[in-house]
Amino acid sequence: MTTAKKTMTLNLTDAEMRVLDELCAKKDLNKTAVLRQALKLYQTVETRLDRGDRLFFEDEKTKEKAEVMML
Amino acid sequence: MTVTISRVYLLDVANNTIQEAELWDAITEKHLADWEAEWMPELFKATQKLHRANVERRLWPQSRHWDWRRKASVLNGMLGNPGFSIVCGGLTQGMMIVDSSMKRCRIPSQKGRDLVYVEFIENAPWNRRELLFDPPRYRGIGTVLIRAAIELSKAEDFKGRIGLHSLPQANSFYANTCGMVDFGVDANHEGLRYFEMTPEHAEAFIAKGTSP
Repeated sequence: MTTAKKTMTLNLTDAEMRVLDELCAKKDLNKTAVLRQALKLYQTVETRLDRGDRLFFEDEKTKEKAEVMML
Repeated sequence: MTVTISRVYLLDVANNTIQEAELWDAITEKHLADWEAEWMPELFKATQKLHRANVERRLWPQSRHWDWRRKASVLNGMLGNPGFSIVCGGLTQGMMIVDSSMKRCRIPSQKGRDLVYVEFIENAPWNRRELLFDPPRYRGIGTVLIRAAIELSKAEDFKGRIGLHSLPQANSFYANTCGMVDFGVDANHEGLRYFEMTPEHAEAFIAKGTSP
């Protein structure tokens, strides 16, 4: 089951490339996979915010919540 | 949206023959219409049979509350939530929706890595022995759908990692047939057991073959 894909060129700064490399190592993913994950996550956040939902981070230990303000 | 249809095989239990089926990487209006017009009446009748056989309510199919039309509508167009369906004999035999963006591995050796989480997976009522369809019409639907989740995981570079919360009737299938790690009851998820598959488990599952 394969879906046709399109190729694009991406221009990143050294700092951006370094972060991408770090995420690839941490997540055991190739660069394309990390960027595709980022796109999926971005779409999910935007869709939920458009729906009126709010985004929070919760401290696992203290259970303290902080809202991520998306302006 | 481009839909890919692959050829898969199911076992026709009554005739003991292998039947050609279609695996769709989508849930379309045809599949939802089958769920509404074919699955729902059978599921209702099956629940009635269980009730009349004095089967405890907690053992009735929990999926009887699932509204696939609503799920498909909410997740329509979401890159991280593709749907899959299997068609055989002109009817939808199984459906699945996964989440490939929001869930992470729990197995210590894989902790924090991305996986394909099986959000919803359901067999047509007439394929389920626990609903007193004996013999069930087709076998192999769950296996084909789990294989599809593994293939998606590999396509996303997740190396075959998948996870799911199992309804009680399916615990044995995920533990024994799929060889997934059983994390036990997850108190944060309606008391359902959580199962996870490592890349090695995925390869072992594929090596066993997906014949029903």
